[in-house]
Amino acid sequence: MGRNNFSILTILSITLLPILSLSFSTDSPTDRRLLVLLDDLSLKSSHSIFFNSLKSRGFDLDFKLADDPKLALQRYGQYLYDGLILFSPSIERFGGALDLAAVLDFVDSGHDLIIAADSSSSDLIKSLATECGVDFDEDPSALVIDHKSYAIAETEGEGDHTLIAADDFIESDVLLGKKKIEAPVLFKGIAHSLNAANTLVLKVLSASPLAYSANPSSKLSSPPSLTGSSISLVSVVQARNNARIMITGSLDMFSNRFFRSSVQKAGSPRKYDKSGNEQFVTELSKWVFHVRGHLKAVNLRHNKAGETDEPAMYRIKDDLDFSVEIYEWSGKSWEPYVANDVQVQLYMMSPYVLKTLSNDKKGLYHTSFKVPDVYGVFQFKVEYHRLGYTSLSLSKQIPVRPFRHNEYERFITAAFPYYGASFTMVVGAFLQQTARPESTGIEMSLFLREENC
Amino acid sequence: MYLQFYINDNGDKVYTTKKESPLGLPTESAHPARFSPDDKYSRQRVLLKKRFGLLPTQQSPLNVEETYEELRTFEVLGIDKRSDISTAACQSVSEILGSSSSTLKDLFYALKVNGILKCDIKEDVFEGVASRLQAAVSGASALLDFYYSVGGLALIKGQTTKDDLYLADAEGVFQSIKALSQSDGRWRYNSNNPESSTLAAGLALEALAGIVSLSSSEIDQSLISTTKNDILKLFDSIEKYDDGAFYFDEKLVGAREHQGALSTTSSVVRGLTAFAAVASGSLNLPSGKILGLAKIFLAIGIPGDAKDLFNQVDSLAFLESNTVSIPLILSLPATVLSLTKKDALKVKVNTVLGSNAPPLTVNLLRVFRSGSKDTLLTESQELKFDPENAVYTLDALPKSVDVGKYTFVFETVLHDSDHKNLYATGGQTRIPIFFTGVIEVDTAEIAVLDSDLGSIETKKKIDLAGDNTVSLSANHLQKLRLSFQLSTPLGHAFKPHQAILKLTHETKVEHIFLMRSSGKQFEIILDFLGMVEKFFYLSGRYNVQLTVGDAVMENSFLKAVGHINLDLPEPPEKAPQPPAQPLDPNLIHGPKAEIAHIFRVPEKLPPKELSLTFLGLTLLPFLGFLLGLLRLGVNLKNFPSSSVPAMFAALFHLGIAAVLLLYVLFWLKLDLFTTLKGLGFLGAFLMFVGHRILSHLASSSSKLKSA
Repeated sequence: MGRNNFSILTILSITLLPILSLSFSTDSPTDRRLLVLLDDLSLKSSHSIFFNSLKSRGFDLDFKLADDPKLALQRYGQYLYDGLILFSPSIERFGGALDLAAVLDFVDSGHDLIIAADSSSSDLIKSLATECGVDFDEDPSALVIDHKSYAIAETEGEGDHTLIAADDFIESDVLLGKKKIEAPVLFKGIAHSLNAANTLVLKVLSASPLAYSANPSSKLSSPPSLTGSSISLVSVVQARNNARIMITGSLDMFSNRFFRSSVQKAGSPRKYDKSGNEQFVTELSKWVFHVRGHLKAVNLRHNKAGETDEPAMYRIKDDLDFSVEIYEWSGKSWEPYVANDVQVQLYMMSPYVLKTLSNDKKGLYHTSFKVPDVYGVFQFKVEYHRLGYTSLSLSKQIPVRPFRHNEYERFITAAFPYYGASFTMVVGAFLQQTARPESTGIEMSLFLREENC
Repeated sequence: MYLQFYINDNGDKVYTTKKESPLGLPTESAHPARFSPDDKYSRQRVLLKKRFGLLPTQQSPLNVEETYEELRTFEVLGIDKRSDISTAACQSVSEILGSSSSTLKDLFYALKVNGILKCDIKEDVFEGVASRLQAAVSGASALLDFYYSVGGLALIKGQTTKDDLYLADAEGVFQSIKALSQSDGRWRYNSNNPESSTLAAGLALEALAGIVSLSSSEIDQSLISTTKNDILKLFDSIEKYDDGAFYFDEKLVGAREHQGALSTTSSVVRGLTAFAAVASGSLNLPSGKILGLAKIFLAIGIPGDAKDLFNQVDSLAFLESNTVSIPLILSLPATVLSLTKKDALKVKVNTVLGSNAPPLTVNLLRVFRSGSKDTLLTESQELKFDPENAVYTLDALPKSVDVGKYTFVFETVLHDSDHKNLYATGGQTRIPIFFTGVIEVDTAEIAVLDSDLGSIETKKKIDLAGDNTVSLSANHLQKLRLSFQLSTPLGHAFKPHQAILKLTHETKVEHIFLMRSSGKQFEIILDFLGMVEKFFYLSGRYNVQLTVGDAVMENSFLKAVGHINLDLPEPPEKAPQPPAQPLDPNLIHGPKAEIAHIFRVPEKLPPKELSLTFLGLTLLPFLGFLLGLLRLGVNLKNFPSSSVPAMFAALFHLGIAAVLLLYVLFWLKLDLFTTLKGLGFLGAFLMFVGHRILSHLASSSSKLKSA
């Protein structure tokens, strides 16, 4: 039996291994090679702090013009890059072999993407964003305007309140890091909204309730299509294959000027020496490129209470122990993941048991429960979808059988009178037959005598 | 096995399969070279080189060009970093200057570094370098060779005590550089290459300036003036941004490396200022273009690239002290001024690096409201100069300036007429200015009206500044009216950019309406009858929100007015569905409620005591039977007396007892198969002993009868 198990495991691991290694390297899920597509190479210098911070964190950046005729994401069926940064808002058509479908395929195969748009955004970039589940304002001249939480202008021509000081962040340590972002984030660009039908897209930075999306230099003729907090300034998507996408309507958000600029939000007395952009963008890029928030689950185990081997089958009403180990990627190594909301389901068409696992702070999650009194083919399922973390989806099939005929209760107290009656009958007849055979009709000698009559 | 060949004594090719010819020499393969386009071992070779640090990217000797650019940037910005790198830099400078194999470019930049660091270089080293450069000048044909060698010589002249360093045939060299120029003012890199470049023009001008300074005699004036013409032509190709900034861009197709507009413009600025410094007479360049060049360098912000930063800072330093015309930049510390706080309009005039301007007057010429062409100013106004802060202040704003966006046109007039040739002021400067103020909100009112009559059902005043909310209710036959007034500090009507009424249903479906105005009065009437479909027939509580905001309104506000309970008719069958609203991510991602399986309840059994009682009752007759048996005693008279039948009789009874015991065991623990097996054996045994005892009884009774 043990050998049999082992060989099944070996075959399983041999067949699964290539699939696992294709999706992402299990040793280190962090991206390494990034392709940066630019409209203009001068962006390399005007956004150099962002690029240098990526380089210093170990990424290989490959800068290309977005209309470079030699652009290609893959060669001989192998992807050349792990991530794509689109800093080319005005590109109408990519060069080379790259097009909308190629970028979407790139994401569909589990790679990451950053899209930065601005007021000159092309239809290509907007339709790419639409495919990712966010809709940019269709009016090409519209900008996000906020007459309350704007940054107090420092240079000329910025009095029209399109430079937003946004501080309505999503509350998530895994997306934005443990350190709170104190200073507001400077934003100047276009608005987008989330597609209501898409549950994978999240608003990371939303506009204040006063914000609206309109052309600042002309009067409003119709109600603005996007207003208030439904405007998203920065959104992220985590696809079902754990590919991550960041979408923002402001390319300037990444620029050195915004990184280094001091910021004072209108109506607030506090002036920050440095805007929150660098921290915000750096932390979010860590998330996008899988430096943070990447989970793996290993050693899914279950056994009967008091045993250690995994059985091939359970009986109804068995007590069982279930355990799984979950680790989180910290950028360098796998650290134990600590959370109190990991749940296991015992599932056959619908969950029969759903239980929260307790953990030992070292990554081991376990629980124990009784197998339900329904037999059939069940699955242990761990479906873990937490905001910002990669989703875990494990399942292990296990059959459950009913009681065998000899596993029922043998002596039922309520039947004792019947037992008593039948056994006294048996014992009495035997005694009668043995001790006083002549007093009953079944006596052998009598039977013989009658035969003689 | 491959086909081989060797050349025999007669010189003929002899084919063989052996690896060795009869002469003992190795044979050669007869197959054509097998060629594969992919380099199979490239990865290994790169790895090997990487391991031993031989890749070009791993070698980083001190780059003198970059060192110079760093030092120059620090020098212009007034940051003293010399001591940090001077030892290492001077070391490599003296190495480069001392070595006879160093390139012209390295020599040139080493001399430039030396010009800043003042390293301790011996005179004879300079002499050696000078003679090398002299030879290079006379042998040069490409522009870059001229540029580096002439530039190097000019630098040596400034760094040694020797002042008899002259170029032998200055005019000839001048002409050979000039021969590379094109008719449009651009230059070629060398005579073989027909493509011309703007960047090369800047280098050429710098080289020419070097020749003029190195020449022992006066250069022919006609040469100088044709060069000046070239410069003017070059400036014809200048490009322009809308805000008055000028720049040069490289149109060279297929350039070896990308030369951005910044490096091209900066090269031209360097060449122009260097040439203007040595050439006699004025260049007659329009001062607006020089100012435009300064503007482009100021407008790009702080570049992130060290080379771009060097180009920017170096060009600004050259513009700061050039002899063509020094640009003066007019700027405003703040372009958003509050009327309520009575902010003063301040203007600063500086050179590009922030030095004070010569005495001048700043006049306010015109003031426009955005979107109109009529000036609000009757006569030009002079700004008062505050010598302490070097700021020009406008005493009083024009009376009619209200909140809004204005364009102010300033003019700078230099006091000294000599300065007019020296400085570029750019004449008039247009600057957009926002004037903000507190807008007064008045007589805000919300009312529910009856539709047909227009009579007021409920009417409530609201205080848009305060904290109160109203609660209203209406049905689809009624109307909602909201009105308020806005006026500027000067009492004019004010039309904010954003005046939005928002109705939000409990299900988060939003309806947005623009507020229209007539004069000061803003009013909106929502006729619910016409909007039932638009409201998706959703009855219930709607929150009413009013947002008023504008870039020049200091008290932009979002006011939760209150709520209105709408009673709308039931939706017909084909009514439009309200749009889906995004779900709260925390709802999707949060943990689910636990599920515990509910086990089937075991069937109800009588209590244990009851069963035991009845067990006792069933045992009672048995006890009675036992007692009776004891009273009557055992009757064994039919038991056979002889030994063999007695043994069979005993075995028979034991067999019966064993079968009964087997039944007890079957009840206690055995399963059916074990029981049947045992019963089989016992049955056979009983058959045998039973038959024996029966035959004995039969024989004994027949004996009895016969007897």
